[in-house]
Amino acid sequence: MSQIPVTVLTGYLGAGKTTLLNRILSEPHGKKYAVIVNEFGEIGIDGALVVGADEEVFEMNNGCICCTVRGDLIRVISGLLKRAGGFDGILIETTGLANPGPVAQTFFADEDIAAKAKIDSIVTVVDAKYLPLRLKDSKEAEEQIAFADVILLNKADLVDAGELAETEAAIRRINNFAKIIRTVKSDAPLDQVLGLGSFDLDEILKRAPDFLKTETHDHHNHHHDHDHECGSDCGHHHHDHHHDHKHGHHHSELHDSDISSLSLTSDKPLDMVKFEAWMSDLRANKGQDLLRYKGILDMQGSDRKLAVQGVHMMMDGSNLAPWKDGEKRTSRMVFIGRKLDEKALRAGFASCAA
Amino acid sequence: MQSSAIFKKWELGVPVSSLAVNGNGDWGMAALGDGGARLFDAQDASAEPKALTLHDGVSLSLKPDADAHAFLSGGDDGKVVIADPVPGTATVLAEHKNKWVDHVAGAADGKHRAYSIGKKIYILDEEGQEKFTADLPSSAGGLRFSPNGKRLAASHYNGISLWWLNAKETAPETREWKGSHLDLIWTPDGKCVLTSLQENALHGWQLVDGKEMRMQGYAAKVRSMAFSARGKYLVTSGAEQIICWPFSGGGPWGKPPLTLGGMDGRLVTQVAPHPKDEMVAAGYNDGMVVLAPLDGRMEIMIAPPQSGADKAVTGLVWNRDGDALYAGTESGTVMLFTIDSVRKAVVQAG
Repeated sequence: MSQIPVTVLTGYLGAGKTTLLNRILSEPHGKKYAVIVNEFGEIGIDGALVVGADEEVFEMNNGCICCTVRGDLIRVISGLLKRAGGFDGILIETTGLANPGPVAQTFFADEDIAAKAKIDSIVTVVDAKYLPLRLKDSKEAEEQIAFADVILLNKADLVDAGELAETEAAIRRINNFAKIIRTVKSDAPLDQVLGLGSFDLDEILKRAPDFLKTETHDHHNHHHDHDHECGSDCGHHHHDHHHDHKHGHHHSELHDSDISSLSLTSDKPLDMVKFEAWMSDLRANKGQDLLRYKGILDMQGSDRKLAVQGVHMMMDGSNLAPWKDGEKRTSRMVFIGRKLDEKALRAGFASCAA
Repeated sequence: MQSSAIFKKWELGVPVSSLAVNGNGDWGMAALGDGGARLFDAQDASAEPKALTLHDGVSLSLKPDADAHAFLSGGDDGKVVIADPVPGTATVLAEHKNKWVDHVAGAADGKHRAYSIGKKIYILDEEGQEKFTADLPSSAGGLRFSPNGKRLAASHYNGISLWWLNAKETAPETREWKGSHLDLIWTPDGKCVLTSLQENALHGWQLVDGKEMRMQGYAAKVRSMAFSARGKYLVTSGAEQIICWPFSGGGPWGKPPLTLGGMDGRLVTQVAPHPKDEMVAAGYNDGMVVLAPLDGRMEIMIAPPQSGADKAVTGLVWNRDGDALYAGTESGTVMLFTIDSVRKAVVQAG
């Protein structure tokens, strides 16, 4: 059964979310979207159904305090699913102060919704000029970056190259794995925003070669030589030594955050039982601090790649495509979370070796 | 070839979102995924359904109206609509632009109607005039009048709110239980209210003394619940079997449920206890429909399972006399079973 893809648009007030939404809706793609907004604003596009929803976050009554979902989304999406013909996609625009966690968890926790709809990506729009300020005064701005699959570094024309690079570095320290697109008026190519399947295990696997090849960005490393994919306007020529220095100096000011990213790799096959025990312990004890995680793993005794992904305590995993002949069998697990204990995570992952 | 228990079948081409029978029990109505509806004359099995339009979007809640002849529907076009089977018209009772009418309810005594938009409840008098409104702490999950029509209950996050409709006081009484409460049901004697919870369970309160009940073990949310004839059992969906909680002889406390039907991986999505006899109709997520006697005898399959996705039974209602049963499905089929068509099929199957 095909599930309706859901794109979550987050970002601070004024960053350019609505501009992006209007761009998505007005492009001639012939697709039918339902849009869930918190306020009826300047959205008014023929052919799209716009629905208002009041953010209603509630705890699932299962003893897990991090297991919060958005009751309003359950209600609205259940209603949308009653419509004949359905939709090609659902776009959810959250308020500037929303934590994307409960939105993402709704699609894991509610079985009726999960059967019919699936998050495609979390897209966060940030204001290149004001993000450093937001990161200082709001934990939501950080969470929105931490949860993102795609980050639009918007209004890139309003800051100089140095500021832009610094802001990008600040984003990287929180989320080293999201794709960053530098934009003016939220003008990202839509194929880099929609239809990405970021929560889809098959899609994660399809990109396995990239995922496994990606160099680890050590989150303590302040160099600017990322190998992430930048927007077309990103020329990598603006990182000079002076800037590096300045950036290091600004670190504590810009980023008091305890959110960071960590990548773990192993060339040894893993033991399924050990890995499951480690992950379930981690989710039980640190679930609240684990914001996003993904992995492609080589399991002892299996010819297939195991793909896993999760949000907080909720994890999804399955054995998918086989390893190809001659393909290097590497396992990689990435985490974005709060107070990540790098040492313990590295040791835990290493102990999963068969 | 075995003769089918289905007397008649209509392929409507759009999903049936819900089915209801009016208060008189002589008309059935199917609300469809395109905002349309079909009215079925439940006294005349040979009649073709009448088509009408209810909403510009889709009906989110379809109930028997306070007028025992009619139906009440709330839609995502912000309209509350009364559908009158004869002559087959839809009249807008209230309209709220850019809002969704999540739940509607008509009192069986004909004196009140109510509907909810998110956290706000609107209570209308006999004339359709607004009597009072109330604000809930969170969006309503369900809205139902007591069987005698004197009280109204709304379920929401962390509990329920209750009003006496003729009291001067419009502030509700509340009963609390942590969690997200979806739909609710009153016991036929009006003494207890039960809710279905987000966490695949039921919770209930005996209103007079606050004594609570908890029913667990469901595989899915309980989307359909109804009392069997004379209020003996609370019959519920949400599991592989039909789960029936005993309510006669002192209530359900400490008693295991009666479970009917097989356990073969499919889930019950709709239940419809027979209005007179000790028998329950149940629809499943693969389109199968069964009749199960409440004395534990083997159930009879009256519509076979369908292969493929989106085949769930989404509506199941008996007419007043219990000689006609309508089933609607996600795939856009309405099936009519008559007692005669079922009997014939059973006899031929030996």
